[in-house]
Amino acid sequence: MAAGNRLAAGGRIDRSKPLHFTFNGKAYTGFQGDTLASALLANGVRLTARSFKYHRPRGIVGAGVEEPATLVELMGDDASGNRPATTVPLTEGLAAKAVNCWPSLAFDIGAVNQLASRFIPAGFYYKTFKWPNWHLYERPIRKAAGLAAAPSEPPSKGHYETRYGHCDVLIAGAGPAGLMAALTVARAGLRVMIADEGCEAGGSLLSRRLTIGGTDAMEWVDATFAELNAMPNVTHLQNATVWGYREHNYLMVTERAPANPSLLERTWRVRAGHVITATGAIERGLVFGNNDRPGVMLASAVQAYVNRYGVAPGKRAVIFTNNNSAYAVAADLAAAGVEVRAIADSRDAVPDEARAIVPGIEIMAGKCVTEAQGTRQIRSVAVAAKTGGSARILSCDLLAMSGGWNPTVHLWSQSRSTLRYDDPLATFLPDTPAQPISAAGAANGALTLQDALRSGAEAAAQIAGTTPPDIPDAPDLPYAMEPLWRVETAKGKAFLDLQNDVTVDDIHLALREGYSNVEHVKRYTTGGMGFDQGKTGNINIIGTVALAQGLAMDQVGTTTFRAPYTPVSFGAIGGLREETVALPYRHTPITEWNLAQGAFMYEAGARWRRPGYFPRAGEGLQEATNRECRAVRFGVGVYDGSPLGTFELKGRDVGRFLDYLYSNVMSSLKPGNGRYGLMLSDDGLIMDDGVCFRLDDHRWIVSTSTGHADAINGHMEEMLQTRFPEWNVFITTVTSQWNNATICGPKAREVMAALGTDIDLSPEAFPFMTVRDGTVAGLPARVVRVSFTGELSFEVNVAPRHMRALWAKVMEAGAPFGILPVGSEASHVLRVEKGFLSLGHEVDGTVDAYDLGMGWAMSKKKSDYLGKRAVQIRREGAAPRRELVGVIPEPDRQIPEGAPLTPGGRREKTEGFVTACVWSVVHERWVGLALLEGGHARHGETAHVRLKGGEVIPVRVTAPCHYDPDGDKLRS
Amino acid sequence: MPYDVTFERLETQALHDLKGPREALAAWAGDALPPFPDQPNTKTEAGGATLMFIGPDHWLLRADLTREGTLDAALRPAEAPPEISLVRVSDTLAWFRITGPDAAEVMAVACPMDLHTSRFGPDGAGFTEAFGLKALVTRCADGFDLAVEQSFGPMVADYLTRVIS
Repeated sequence: MAAGNRLAAGGRIDRSKPLHFTFNGKAYTGFQGDTLASALLANGVRLTARSFKYHRPRGIVGAGVEEPATLVELMGDDASGNRPATTVPLTEGLAAKAVNCWPSLAFDIGAVNQLASRFIPAGFYYKTFKWPNWHLYERPIRKAAGLAAAPSEPPSKGHYETRYGHCDVLIAGAGPAGLMAALTVARAGLRVMIADEGCEAGGSLLSRRLTIGGTDAMEWVDATFAELNAMPNVTHLQNATVWGYREHNYLMVTERAPANPSLLERTWRVRAGHVITATGAIERGLVFGNNDRPGVMLASAVQAYVNRYGVAPGKRAVIFTNNNSAYAVAADLAAAGVEVRAIADSRDAVPDEARAIVPGIEIMAGKCVTEAQGTRQIRSVAVAAKTGGSARILSCDLLAMSGGWNPTVHLWSQSRSTLRYDDPLATFLPDTPAQPISAAGAANGALTLQDALRSGAEAAAQIAGTTPPDIPDAPDLPYAMEPLWRVETAKGKAFLDLQNDVTVDDIHLALREGYSNVEHVKRYTTGGMGFDQGKTGNINIIGTVALAQGLAMDQVGTTTFRAPYTPVSFGAIGGLREETVALPYRHTPITEWNLAQGAFMYEAGARWRRPGYFPRAGEGLQEATNRECRAVRFGVGVYDGSPLGTFELKGRDVGRFLDYLYSNVMSSLKPGNGRYGLMLSDDGLIMDDGVCFRLDDHRWIVSTSTGHADAINGHMEEMLQTRFPEWNVFITTVTSQWNNATICGPKAREVMAALGTDIDLSPEAFPFMTVRDGTVAGLPARVVRVSFTGELSFEVNVAPRHMRALWAKVMEAGAPFGILPVGSEASHVLRVEKGFLSLGHEVDGTVDAYDLGMGWAMSKKKSDYLGKRAVQIRREGAAPRRELVGVIPEPDRQIPEGAPLTPGGRREKTEGFVTACVWSVVHERWVGLALLEGGHARHGETAHVRLKGGEVIPVRVTAPCHYDPDGDKLRS
Repeated sequence: MPYDVTFERLETQALHDLKGPREALAAWAGDALPPFPDQPNTKTEAGGATLMFIGPDHWLLRADLTREGTLDAALRPAEAPPEISLVRVSDTLAWFRITGPDAAEVMAVACPMDLHTSRFGPDGAGFTEAFGLKALVTRCADGFDLAVEQSFGPMVADYLTRVIS
């Protein structure tokens, strides 16, 4: 052996490329191709972690994603928390530290928990931290909980990406079965994607000394990939985990090191015609006293360190197994110069073919390791007969254990396909597929190399509709095992789930307390949770439950396999969605102008970003809003109304279609005229309000609220397609075909005239609620006389390509009249003064038109319309209704929107709430709107707002309209 | 550069939304339209105009903006019979052209539709999603044209810049 635990030769590391790294601040050296775990083992580092609950010393157990013990926090450019050391590729300058220990890994104060371990079994906190109040304990427990912290800063360079992918066949896993499957389907011409979670393809072949077709198995891997990568129909993703399996063969694959240098990680959302899970198998541990001590490792991991990384994890080893596969590990250890003291095999009869490959090594048949001895590192093990009796102590610094193999059925199960328990293999195997999916290789219980290759070829050939190719000769030790769910032990904790410190005793406690279902056992004990999701321990938990309850394994069943199979960065899920594109946003052509004017922008429904107000130097929201309101009430203002939903409806049946959708009559409109209307839902509640204009006999324009435009579009299509499919109506969304500048205020007509138009603007020729096509400021325009502010208004609609020009001309023509741009805040004030309803304020999903004093909008002439019957039924009831009223705070002060009204201001059931309260520039005082029980009959009364804390504000109840109740101004 | 592509926002395109029975539309529009595509989500081109089959009894006519007036005059939307609908929608979409060797890779970041040539050929044209938004995708020389609702134009430009940066 070379220095430390590094073997003098062998492994797939590049010894010409040394790499320097630190662990817990101490400097070490490894090689290109190492993982952090292999490099630590090579440097003789055995104590690498502290356990989650008891802070017991832990070492490296596995060699891949199954690692349950050693989680590390990476620092610097690689900053991330809770990474299994076995999955961290070693890089130059890597800095890592252990988690969950203080002040140091070697001296961890938290280890005092071990002294109190009998008082803190599973579920102790559920029972303990209840009195007098959970919140007394919450803060310290939150502080103590968890492992590594999330990085405080995002990565300094690069970004994450998500993308879509499509293929005929997605193969998860590039081990022997996956590669054989890929070859088969790729040669058949199908579009193939093969994704493998390892840094290097080959799966188990990377760690074992096997041959395929008479040559080294890895040469076969290289040749296979050479052929695959030359095919244009093959996409190969290495270092990429298939971690989620959703409906319709939609899978998530995350690449951890994409070829694109600007990408940190990339997640593929893959839609596959068929999926082959060739995900291999995970070795399970054995359950005996102190089976968590540093130096107790999975046998397959030991084999990986020896063969793949050129590292001897110990100098004197004992093997503990219940199956054949560990014999190959013993042979590899011996070949590497490690002393193998003995193989303790729980089986009474060891197959001859297993014995044959370990000549000279003592085989202790029918024997079990009952206890590992040593604290920070294993010193020896106690071996006794399976049936009990005295133990023999074997000194060692490494115990390689193998409890058998679990096919990696996570993806299979995530697809909602079923599992069955297989007695000979003592594990759960894929059974009935729920989607187009096949399992191959070890993931399907084919646990020898030849079987795995054949399994992959056959699964693929079935998909491709071809004959399976010839399978090269691939000799391997037959797999045989006898289940051993746990060893009776008197000393030391016997862990089932190392990551969550769940012991056999914890499972028994859960069962005693009535948590008999395996899903309940999981929740109560946390067994199978965490980063490793019980990859090594779950089956032993199930076995322990089965033994304790006297049930068969399939009667206990498995817990639900959920995505992700292994931890995934949030960044890799979110992809590019950050900063300005974290949420969708929409702009009108005037956005740049608004920003240049210093507008305060925010979302105003349906993802539109609109100006809230245009503050001048020294102004706040209220001052700016007041100024803009005064402009509209006493001069002229203009706002960008482009986001309002707009639809063109065409056809013979549009009139009756609108009559069905709206509560009032639309079909009677003459061309050039429009009408305000309410759109009700099936249950008679207000869904939207808007205006309809008739352009000619068969063409109409429907305008909806901004926020509901998409919903109303869908609603109209649904009505048309499901209730009136025979009606002749076409709906075309033209929201973005028309932008508009709405000029409003007493001087609006003068500004329109100054702009220059061929439309007669006189009130007689162009009255309220009519539409005219013509030119404005030399631009083709459609002008509509509607008003949301209560003032004389002209909504000048032009194509967006003309909007900037129109806006500039409006501001120029309006300048002599003192025109001001108006934001959403001022619009809100103006509509409250008028008592106009607003969706989300007065229309809160509970009120109907009568509640809002808009019974006039409920047609008495039409035999039916959407929501009519529901309104009738509701109003025949005796339940009191909350009705829209105006409120005047007395004394004059602002009331928060949403503030409740209670009888007399007492602490009683509310009788309504304030929907809006604004500073009225007309009345120079605060005015508001409210929904109040029986409000229509209570005008002139005093109601009472009760604020949080008990403060009471009297309000005078009025009609909702605070300004121009007859509408003279807007019709002017 | 991570992706070997360029993207540009195209000028407004002349667009007309056509709905109704194909025969009725053909009879009304006459020679103003290219031949109707036979397959959904495909397009035909003739005389500088492109006709895209985007839904049941639903087509989109695209041309350079300079031809908008000519097409308006030929299609006469306001005079069309009620059994068909012709609406000028030129300004509703913001167009982006993504070209270069990695155009398909960038499109795969944006768009869930399978744009492989075996599935979405040179005559491909259809609505799908791009960056979570409703989007129209068509093939163009050396790449793709991508159109989204006009108000989302700045956001898609932002997205594309991030993808290729």
